Amino acid sequence: MADTPVFNTREEVDFVVIGSGAAGGILAKELSTAGFSTVVLEQGKYRKAAEFTHDEIKNFLNGELLGKGPRESGMTFRADESQEAKAGQRDPAMYARTVGGSSVVFSAHFWRMRPVDFNERSLLGAIEGTNFVDWPIAYDELEPYYSKVEWDMGVSGAPGHSDPPRSRPFPMPPLTINSSGAIMAKGAKALGLHADVQAHAILSQVHNGRAPCTNCGFCSFYGCEIGAKSSSLAAMIPLAEASGHCEIRPESTVFRIVKNAAGRVTEVLYYDKDGNEQGQKARAVVLSANGAESPRLLLDSDNLANSSGYVGRNLMFNSHASVEGVFEHQLNEYKGVQATRVVMDFYDSDPARGFYGGGGIDARGGLFLTPLMYALAASPPAEKNWGAAYKDLIAHSFSRQMGMFVSATSLPMDRNNITLSPNKTDKWGRPSIVVTYKDHPDDIANASFLQGRAQELLDAGGAARTWSTPAGPSDFGVHLLGTCRMGDDPSTSVIDRNHRAHDVPNLFICDGSSLVTSTRGQPTMTIMALAFRAADRIKAAASAGEI
Amino acid sequence: MNPHELSRRLFLRQSAGVAGATWAKTILPALAAISQAACTAKEEQAPFLVLQADEAIEFEAIAARIIPTTDTPGAREAGVIYFFDQSLGSFNAPMLPMLQNGLSELQASIESGSKFSELSESEQDALLEANQNTGFFGLVRMLTFAGFFGMSEYGGNKDGIGVKLLGVEPHAHAYSYPFGYYDAEYMKENPNG
Repeated sequence: MADTPVFNTREEVDFVVIGSGAAGGILAKELSTAGFSTVVLEQGKYRKAAEFTHDEIKNFLNGELLGKGPRESGMTFRADESQEAKAGQRDPAMYARTVGGSSVVFSAHFWRMRPVDFNERSLLGAIEGTNFVDWPIAYDELEPYYSKVEWDMGVSGAPGHSDPPRSRPFPMPPLTINSSGAIMAKGAKALGLHADVQAHAILSQVHNGRAPCTNCGFCSFYGCEIGAKSSSLAAMIPLAEASGHCEIRPESTVFRIVKNAAGRVTEVLYYDKDGNEQGQKARAVVLSANGAESPRLLLDSDNLANSSGYVGRNLMFNSHASVEGVFEHQLNEYKGVQATRVVMDFYDSDPARGFYGGGGIDARGGLFLTPLMYALAASPPAEKNWGAAYKDLIAHSFSRQMGMFVSATSLPMDRNNITLSPNKTDKWGRPSIVVTYKDHPDDIANASFLQGRAQELLDAGGAARTWSTPAGPSDFGVHLLGTCRMGDDPSTSVIDRNHRAHDVPNLFICDGSSLVTSTRGQPTMTIMALAFRAADRIKAAASAGEI
Repeated sequence: MNPHELSRRLFLRQSAGVAGATWAKTILPALAAISQAACTAKEEQAPFLVLQADEAIEFEAIAARIIPTTDTPGAREAGVIYFFDQSLGSFNAPMLPMLQNGLSELQASIESGSKFSELSESEQDALLEANQNTGFFGLVRMLTFAGFFGMSEYGGNKDGIGVKLLGVEPHAHAYSYPFGYYDAEYMKENPNG
């Protein structure tokens, strides 16, 4: 292995990549292994697999990976502009601060978008009050990169009954079915639906020199302790470092991208872990900080790349809903990955339903099948949640509970956005992020419709008892999409189809913010496919002297 | 001896009677006595970080109604109060004033002037039910469950007592198939997955 370089901050490198997550990690690997000198600035610490634990107090209560919430970020939320934005207990735009970004903590359910996702506006017509448009690219153009994600990152799975065309088979078989998956299979069969295999960015076999999953169960919101989860940290960063052309610079919080009089970006300014201002000069900048932080950084860099006014707009969280169920026998969902079966029969939008939207329903342990999180939320919300009866309920149901989980579309709208706070700052003194979000009525109608199907699946699967909370407006998101979207028209998009900012020739933006529509609710695979594609375009442009 | 060390000794002496009585009703008395003595000896080595003995007794009494000792150990046996103290002396420090104020208000609401810990279990339950939607109760509840199910290194979940309630081992680093009843049944009917 080559030595990992340490670049001089005052000497120009080829690329600075801001962010090391799902997109940034891939871009860093692709650019550095092509020989370009690359510095990755990541605000989080550089933690490795062996540092990840099952510690719920550290992870959930103390924000080891997800951060300390508004008391450090200063983030606030409001449903619309008429309200005062307020800080809650958690960040309304939630993401992990660690090398590998949120790909370290994701549940790793990997869905390709389908051909319909790319031209749905043309198929369905305009939707009033939204910025719903077609993508500038089609499925066929992204398909090779979906396959590349499967092979280079490591995805296990098997084709579903209605999957889009694929150029290569899955590189490894799916993870074995768990009890919630078996219940989903039973329910789907009874209802005439299809329980497809859920694909995962989690290894079922040794792949690219990495070990397969041991079913420890701590996937969602945890880092994988053996590196079987195909995060950027596990799959890309080691290759980037081994190239000899990439420096990962953790605990580096960017506060400004500097533009010169010629309209080109020249340097990225950041705070190091001691709070000292540093700068890294670069020939080109790749912004992959996520759908909340990327627009924040542009807005806070004198409105960089924002002649369209679209920076920060069209925020999409994906709508969600769930139904919980308790069964007679033990499921033991604390073992293994979240979901092993998914129903995609309601993927397409159907005008006969009276609203726009589609999505998938998976069967999973849910976020509450680690002991402490379960104990805090084991009963339906209205019931007494302490005392001897509650203790008995925990003891009985921890191993017998599962959920049917809905992941679905969100529509892009002006009113849902990331802006800078006029009066609040984060711990670095930067203007903090204001999240303004109110789901489109169709998003809630669609989530409610899918929740009804989830209820039917759970009943048909044989649940002894079920409960749910009605699908309602979102007040936080972990999917941060659409805020610097891709398009051919510079007046209604921020980047072109090659991820180059319309306004700045040597600035590229690639992360969840690039998405034009929301996906059906599992966006990371698409973010990764876009990153591999963007890397090819950027490398080609750099090699041709066109940056 | 520093004040918190004194606090902890005093707490142990005063709470031993209460804990012992409840414990003895439900578990083999001899075993209980041995384990209680062992715990006490171990814990007396370390002082409390922030809690005073009288506060600790009251918080433990509340925690013991949130996760009572039944035919299985509860918050008291899991040493939840030591999680309260350790966390309030470190990462949960900002919660301490709110907890102390909440406790004072709870005590002040008891007309007889008794301490919460001196009430009967049914009186304690009635008082907590009247307060169960308060921020104070929410915090105590959260800390109680965190001390019962969180990692033992934070002071609670002594000897894994909390997690043992679940009847399964959720913290192993590897599991093999089948996981549960339903996937085992599925594999019988679909041997190829």
